[in-house]
Amino acid sequence: MRSPADRRGAAPAPILQIEGLTVRFGGLTALNDVNFSVMPGEVRAIIGPNGAGKSTFFNCVTGVLRPTSGRIVFDGKNITGRPSNEVSQRGIARSYQITNILPNATVFENVRVAAQSRRHAWSMLRDRGSFNDLNEKAESALNQVGLLPKAQELAANLSHGEQRNLEIGIALATEPKLLCLDEPTAGMSAAETHDTIELVRRIASNLTILIVEHDMPLVMELATRITVFHYGEVLADGSPAEIRDNSRVQEVYLKT
Amino acid sequence: MTLASLDRISPRKGRLSHTTVFWMVFAVIMALLVIAPFVLPVFWLKFLTEILIWGLLAMSSDLLLGYTGLISFGHSVFFGLGMYGAAGALLHSHPANLWLAILCGLAGAGGAALFVAYFSTRLRDVYFAITTLIFAQIFYVIIFTWTSVTGGENGLIFSRPHFAIPFLVDFKFDRYTMHWFVLALVAGSYVLLRRITRSPFGMVLQSIRENEARTRAIGYPVDRYKIVAVMLSGLFAGLAGVLYAVQNEFAAPDFVFFITSGDTIIFNVMGGIGTLVGPIVGAGFFQLLRELLSRLFGDQFPYLIPVGMVFIVMIIFLPQGLMGWARRWLNQ
Ligand SMILES: Nc1ncnc2c1ncn2[C@@H]1O[C@H](COP(=O)(O)OP(=O)(O)OP(=O)(O)O)[C@@H](O)[C@H]1O
Ligand SMILES: [Mg+2]
Repeated sequence: MRSPADRRGAAPAPILQIEGLTVRFGGLTALNDVNFSVMPGEVRAIIGPNGAGKSTFFNCVTGVLRPTSGRIVFDGKNITGRPSNEVSQRGIARSYQITNILPNATVFENVRVAAQSRRHAWSMLRDRGSFNDLNEKAESALNQVGLLPKAQELAANLSHGEQRNLEIGIALATEPKLLCLDEPTAGMSAAETHDTIELVRRIASNLTILIVEHDMPLVMELATRITVFHYGEVLADGSPAEIRDNSRVQEVYLKT
Repeated sequence: MTLASLDRISPRKGRLSHTTVFWMVFAVIMALLVIAPFVLPVFWLKFLTEILIWGLLAMSSDLLLGYTGLISFGHSVFFGLGMYGAAGALLHSHPANLWLAILCGLAGAGGAALFVAYFSTRLRDVYFAITTLIFAQIFYVIIFTWTSVTGGENGLIFSRPHFAIPFLVDFKFDRYTMHWFVLALVAGSYVLLRRITRSPFGMVLQSIRENEARTRAIGYPVDRYKIVAVMLSGLFAGLAGVLYAVQNEFAAPDFVFFITSGDTIIFNVMGGIGTLVGPIVGAGFFQLLRELLSRLFGDQFPYLIPVGMVFIVMIIFLPQGLMGWARRWLNQ
């Protein structure tokens, strides 16, 4: 359906390539020799039981954590162990499993400061409200996540679900090529979950997305491809149909 | 440490009236400070001029403390090197040149700030504070013991330079012009610092204070921002040191001792961190309190004990400082 190969007319290179990624915390191996790649335009779901290493994987990709060994290649460049600010500048954005925003700033300011990391970041002598390009970028990001009416609220005063969406808004404002969403619907009501999944579907049209999500029917419907983690290893990798029919996946994951 | 709420960062609408009120208040206060030399007796005028200088030092530290969330004990060094830089320039230029003194003071303070920043900004919280404290003491020992250059314990004594702009003016400072000169530089610094805190750069500093990891994750090289913040802060602190040296015609090692940094933090907390104006108010309040106590009980009175008690009471009852309290009171 959404095949980048058709769009570009040539076999495309993966946007993200993971080679032998291993992370150990003392004696615990959180990720063990993980290999897979993600093509541009995919909506890739990462699933797996609690503690399987999904968040650890995101931490490596976004430079929060330096892997014990292995390589992460993004857009043709080796980004292994690069600090998270550099990874962000290269085009990877991330929303967190545990809400991670500026609670004492307004919703608008949360998003504008993210947009500002791409332009005027060092400007010191002009009022930050006077940059129209920043304001427009922030407004468009808020509009995408449906928070424009709440722009002037303090972020701390938003509902949990709204804060989860603000996370995504902040990530979008950095104009990423790859967006990593770590359980964006965690703690949301069914209605909010539905809206957020719709939101992800909308933004997926011009981004590559990695998403961790526990709701299986939703994942099956949303993802173009699924990677299953189990005890830090890739158990299976394939289309939703393949994953559904994979007996090992059914054994360790779907039936629990 | 209490989190000062992000300083009026939100509304794009309705700012005009807010801004107008601000500049009107600013103009009134400036007018009062300009006419002060005609009204105040000699002692109190010098007192006021010094409060402005301490206020500048306190404001410079607020950029780190209130806006970036870094507690710096390095401000005695920046202030001190501003003093000694100015002293060196004044002793070695003939006739003594004011602008050279400012330049050398800023260079000294800026250099020290870069040095301290380079090593301390990779650390956070209490580790940052301790590192700056250690550097402060290292600089203090160097200045105290390097007698041939710094005059050691006795410091350096010099006479005040003229205020001179080639082909335009050239006059000796008196207490009026000294006060106005200090006022002009402190007010200019305030306007500049206010601009900086309201700029995109200033927002990054506040974002670092609120959530450092998140700030890095959205693409900011946090350490570099901290280094620049410490540098800027150090330059303004150095300017305060230059002004103090020029006003008092000496540079002394006592001011490089970390107590100066401690006082600076007290000014900030008393006045209200993250407000810029608060620290000036805090400096004035602190100096007045000390003066009052020494008048009541004599010079030898250990003023720090009651000042400390007032400080503790203020932390408990006015955690946002005098400015925070005034702001809430005005809003009601
Ligand atoms: N900083 C850390 N130090 C030590 N162990 C850690 C650290 N971070 C994660 N772990 C461990 O690594 C393993 C993988 O954790 P991770 O958070 O990646 O799992 P997850 O797949 O995201 O799980 P969940 O679905 O609960 O979010 C767990 O056993 C966890 O306890
Ligand atoms: Mg997780």
